[in-house]
Amino acid sequence: MLSPRFFASGYLASGYLASGPTPRIRSQRKALGDTILACLSFWSLSLGLALAQVTVGEDTPVALASAFEQRIGPWISKNCSGCHNEENRESGVRVDQLDASLPEESLRLWESIRDQVHAGKMPPEEEPQPTAQERLEFVQWLDKSLHLAKTRPTPRNGSMRRLTVQQYDRSLKSLLGIERNLTTTLPPDAVSRDGFTNQASTLAMNPLQLEAYFKIAEEALESAWVDPKLLPKIHFFRMDLGKSIHPSPSSESLVLGANNHLLANADFLVTEPDLAKPFPFEPFRMQRKFHFIEGYQGNDTVRAWRDFDGIEHAVFACMRGNEGYPKGKAYEVFPNGLALRPAIPSPEIFGESSTYGPQANFKVSLRELPEKGKFQVRITASKIDDLLLIDPSIPIWKPEESPTSSLIEKEWPDPSAPRTVSIPQDGIYQIQITTQQPSESPNKDHELKLSLSKPSSQTEPVPRNIQTTALLKQPAFGLVRLQKGDWQLGLSYAGPVPIERVEFHLLNPNTDSIAKQWAALYERFETRNPKLGVHIGLRRDCGSTLSQVGLPQIVASKTPNVYVFEGDIANFPTPDVEANNVNYLAGIREIGIRHEYTDGRETPRMLVHRVEFEGPYYDTWPPESYRQIFSEPADPTDPTDPTDPTDPTDRKYARGIVERFAAKAFRRPISSIEQRELGTILESELRAGRSMAKSIQETLLVVLTSPQFLYITERSQDPQAEPLDEWELASKLSYFLWNAPPDPELLGLAGQTQLRAGLDHQIDRLLTDPRCESFAESFVSEWLSLDKFDVVEIDAKRYPHLTRDARKHLRREPIEFFKHMIKTNAPAIDLIQSDYLVANEVVANYYGLGDQTESGFAFAPLVHGRTRLGGVLTQAAPLAGLSDGREANPVKRGAWFARRIIAEPPEDPPPNVPKLEDLTELTLRQKLQRHRDVRGCAQCHSGIDPWGLPFEQYDASGRERTDRVDSATRLADGSAFEDFHAFRTYLAQDRIDQVAFSFAKHLAIYACGRGLTYNETLWLRENLGQHKKSGYRAVDILRWIIHSDLFDKK
Amino acid sequence: MTWNRPKLHRRSILKGLAGTALALPILEAMGKEVVESTPKRFCAMYTANGMSLPKPEHGIDEWSWFPTKEVDGKFELGKSTEPLKPFADQVSFFGGLHHENGTKADPHVCSDMWLTGAPLHNPKPGAFNSVGLDQVIAQNTKQHCRQPSLVLSIDAGVGFLSRTGTISYDTQGRPVPAESHPRRVFDRLFRVDRTSLEDQRQRLKSRIKLVDAVLDSANSFNQQLGRSDRDRMDQYLASLNEIESRLIASEKWIDKPIKEQDYSKLNLDATPEAEPAEYYRNMLDLIALAFDADITRSVAFMLNREDGMGISDTFPLKLGLSRTHHNLSHAGDKDGQLQFAKYDRFLSEQLAYFMDRLTGYQDRDGSVLDNTIILYGSGASTTHWPKNLPTMVAGGRNLGLKHGSYWRHGENRMSNLYLSILHSMRIEQASFSDSTGTLAPDVFTKT
Repeated sequence: MLSPRFFASGYLASGYLASGPTPRIRSQRKALGDTILACLSFWSLSLGLALAQVTVGEDTPVALASAFEQRIGPWISKNCSGCHNEENRESGVRVDQLDASLPEESLRLWESIRDQVHAGKMPPEEEPQPTAQERLEFVQWLDKSLHLAKTRPTPRNGSMRRLTVQQYDRSLKSLLGIERNLTTTLPPDAVSRDGFTNQASTLAMNPLQLEAYFKIAEEALESAWVDPKLLPKIHFFRMDLGKSIHPSPSSESLVLGANNHLLANADFLVTEPDLAKPFPFEPFRMQRKFHFIEGYQGNDTVRAWRDFDGIEHAVFACMRGNEGYPKGKAYEVFPNGLALRPAIPSPEIFGESSTYGPQANFKVSLRELPEKGKFQVRITASKIDDLLLIDPSIPIWKPEESPTSSLIEKEWPDPSAPRTVSIPQDGIYQIQITTQQPSESPNKDHELKLSLSKPSSQTEPVPRNIQTTALLKQPAFGLVRLQKGDWQLGLSYAGPVPIERVEFHLLNPNTDSIAKQWAALYERFETRNPKLGVHIGLRRDCGSTLSQVGLPQIVASKTPNVYVFEGDIANFPTPDVEANNVNYLAGIREIGIRHEYTDGRETPRMLVHRVEFEGPYYDTWPPESYRQIFSEPADPTDPTDPTDPTDPTDRKYARGIVERFAAKAFRRPISSIEQRELGTILESELRAGRSMAKSIQETLLVVLTSPQFLYITERSQDPQAEPLDEWELASKLSYFLWNAPPDPELLGLAGQTQLRAGLDHQIDRLLTDPRCESFAESFVSEWLSLDKFDVVEIDAKRYPHLTRDARKHLRREPIEFFKHMIKTNAPAIDLIQSDYLVANEVVANYYGLGDQTESGFAFAPLVHGRTRLGGVLTQAAPLAGLSDGREANPVKRGAWFARRIIAEPPEDPPPNVPKLEDLTELTLRQKLQRHRDVRGCAQCHSGIDPWGLPFEQYDASGRERTDRVDSATRLADGSAFEDFHAFRTYLAQDRIDQVAFSFAKHLAIYACGRGLTYNETLWLRENLGQHKKSGYRAVDILRWIIHSDLFDKK
Repeated sequence: MTWNRPKLHRRSILKGLAGTALALPILEAMGKEVVESTPKRFCAMYTANGMSLPKPEHGIDEWSWFPTKEVDGKFELGKSTEPLKPFADQVSFFGGLHHENGTKADPHVCSDMWLTGAPLHNPKPGAFNSVGLDQVIAQNTKQHCRQPSLVLSIDAGVGFLSRTGTISYDTQGRPVPAESHPRRVFDRLFRVDRTSLEDQRQRLKSRIKLVDAVLDSANSFNQQLGRSDRDRMDQYLASLNEIESRLIASEKWIDKPIKEQDYSKLNLDATPEAEPAEYYRNMLDLIALAFDADITRSVAFMLNREDGMGISDTFPLKLGLSRTHHNLSHAGDKDGQLQFAKYDRFLSEQLAYFMDRLTGYQDRDGSVLDNTIILYGSGASTTHWPKNLPTMVAGGRNLGLKHGSYWRHGENRMSNLYLSILHSMRIEQASFSDSTGTLAPDVFTKT
């Protein structure tokens, strides 16, 4: 127990009532027109003076307790307990058991009582009223008691914080060298009051969860474990693509469900060639003989056994997807590969499109893939020397006097015969094709196939081969860059009337504005590169199950290159069917290969020459995961391999394995007690007659389910704050900035007690490591409540632009923005207004800035030049997440803004919120006004709604509204703003301290993995000012927090 | 148990953990309370492709599966449900129900989502489906019986996504493989052989040993924590203790003999290829026996499959009707809709047979039917229409169910019905799938 003197002096030192903003005094603040920090001292002064006039006696805990006994307690009984007692809990509130001790958990209740009594709302007007003097005395007593309660030092007794699901996942993977996701069975971590999932207080444990840890540990060890004496079995196959590439194609007409769009049997070739590996292995051969009773005629009912024999029934080349590619053919088989246009995502509006997936949806569909282990998909691909098809919907350039090479034919006797075209000079040409006047029904378009080629020459070492097939909708067919000289032209046209003329017009940008525009269009087109993506999933009759393998890769070269995609097969959707299923369609897996779509910009096609799959993929044998445990490669022929339980050398070796593993798992050296215990477990397993390998495995299971692994522990010797030991600091730092365990460098420094000395350098290193991605992702997602965006159901008819694809990229925008702020140590004002976005093509296009970038899927800063973009407040992800998917919601946005951006959290809604009447005829603004007028609602809503109204500038999909919109607001302190822009300018100029405080506070809570105490919050507020001069820069604040006692003391 | 050092008694640890919430029902499972409480059971029976709801112009309303006549708030059974007449006061019809996600998805996934309501139109990679009603019930009843659940289907296995062969999905949304052969079901339920029992015992023993080892090491770590905050550690230790208790409880079942029953009427060689009625009756007999012996309390039975898959598509032909099941479901003509309804009637006969069997077995406080909620219905109304799903609830008188009415109040969610069922079984979840609340308090009077 601390002495009363301590409290008294604490009270004096900290300044009375510097207790943070409460709604009551908030309004005084703006009247002064000053910042919060300056205001704090004002309150202390003015209220301190006011209170000096009436005294409740001494302010020691003893005095306050005795005041409660004598006057306050009886006063509560008289005025409040009648309605708020054990039996009768009006509004869910009970006060009859309160006393002067004010334990932590009662503070919120006391505070709300204080506000109710102070504002004269309680007791209610129909009840007998206390005198003003009585009220004042009560409030004064309570203010002092609350102050004492909040400033009493919280004992610091270290902590045990369970790893979050993500931290656990990454710890397990790093420990065992595996990539398989095993933690999907764990329930998601609970969200704390501050919005974070990494908080010690909410990271609970229960039996079901612990059972899951046992199961996961077993599976994880199973994944990492191999028998090094066995030969690995490796599945390797290849599909080559090209017109008539198969020397002896099957004549069977294959069916793989409805509308399957299989490539012709002749146009692809599946083989299982020999594979070269630096170790012996056994090749896995795919099954070729099958016995099915149904499914081989698509979904039609057949019930007759049939035998199938041939690789064509095991591996298919399937193009099933949405149909109707807008321009040109979605795919085309070339002599040396499969040409793919960008895969346009399906609109996903049921009834408006098929559910078969994107257009240009190439998949290798097959029956067998390994069940587990790493794999590689290797794609040989190139960029096509392509022609830009002219879109009939844009203004057509009409050539007048450009140097033209025309090949004019009155008749086209043999359309398939090539002919020569002489191109007069290098340049971009428009190819114009005119047919003879059709006699009737001129409206139907017919397919035209065009090829242009030029052999290599001394000046042109690379031969040119251009070919395309598209509907001939107008004479202006396409744009292409051609060199001077003779070209071979091939044409075939399916229309009813012959072609009359073929003309090549040089596009001279200087002739007119359309020509200039077209030349620019083509120049951008030819410099763009296809983005190759690989996906793995399973076939189903509807919907998509494909999930992406790694990131898309850029195919920039016109000569074929191999692109490697890696993953763990167990992380991808698997069909849940039994091995002996009798349906031809059951259990089909898919490897999707796509030319990835960003926003529909014209891009040259991609040519896929070859697809290879290898799995399980091993660099070495035994694999890395095994060596991680056994430390030294276990040579199958080595007699010292730890396999003999009776051999004392082997036993020692086994103990060594277990101890090294435990130290790595516990992220510190193990204690002698732990060493002894692990030894006992190992010995007991061996005594029970288990093999050495099994005994080691069982012992490692204990390690993986022990609290030392599952929790981040900070051990404390007494309630005084102590510095973290260096091992604890290493873990705290790496789980903060990586969500992953400390790496050897951090642990090495901790081992030499050099970590704290080199802390700044380590912070820089951790922040620039790719593992830091996880910190940005978790912190930003949780701070800005992006989970709301994950679940909001968007009205697809109203906001068709907010597709599943767009959502995926918009979801990343705030995270990429934050990463950029960290990278550039950007000032806090950027959160509110920045002249740049951090966007990729999809995101830029969403804001109408698609033409400002060519970054593909990569996020890059982009100067937007708009008044209502920039910063996190105008990003679509938080804004759309805070809507109901149909209409924007200023209340949600206001509450979010108050909590997360300026750290002025509104009170929780009271338990007795009256239901809103159905007021459909009113505007939302009017409805809110109505709601604010209701007694009991007004107080909270005056602290929420005004913050939300400026965001009316943005619709439910997070885009700026183009119609006239009222985004004016009047804050609780009376300051008024005519629109969002004015509001935001005010934030940036007058409220930046508060924004920086909110950022720092949330960052500190995330970093420490716990909520801040009242005192700590106060400290943060008072000391953050030192960063004001330099503009409250992101990394400066982060570094400051790590060095502070908040983080570095336990 | 294995390592030689003094070990705290489990109970003493539990007592030492003041303020830590423990799920006491599990501890009860070890005591005699379990034996004395009456089992609460659930059986879901699913028919694919919907039911016959003939067009008005055909003038055969009496063949509508949904009742078309009501007297004093009580329905009158139509011809396709007439076989249920002896149990008319033991069943309720539900109209206007659907899965919100069903209206967005391709209609062929309606079987996959019937018990789950999952968003199959927009699945998250890796988690296509979500937990089904039967498996939620299994999670909550498994500690009281030998097997958490029994999953049956006309075709063994799981089929494949969008053409499922099972209606049961586990807590991770993975399909639970179904059994289709009476003999295999019988062996699994009643003829558990010695070696597999020993196997199971060994597995449990080794798991108990592992938990013990972790417990030892954690206790010792706990002592090394100095004056650190113990709150989290207490939670961990309490969880560990409870896992051990559960394992010990499971081990107890191994040696408990199965109730003696009369198996002589079973034809374990009945196959769907031969005679559909004979097949269904044997499968339903097996469920009734399993309920009576309290081997399981949660059953899901897929009577036939969607979209012409599997053997059941041919059943109408075997019964002398003119088209396959899937083709009948697409029929718009009078004859086709009539024949479809006749197949519905065949299925009603099977349901009536099942209810009769359950009435024949007695619990302490009534028949097994009185303590069993049967959910019968389809994931499509008729011809792939995802709304107004044909739904019937039967039995469960002791669980507060009051029957005899055709309940319908505009449109409502299937998940709300499921939540009402859960609450009737005293499984007090706040929600199920996309439920917004419970429904029909006049039917489910104790929710």
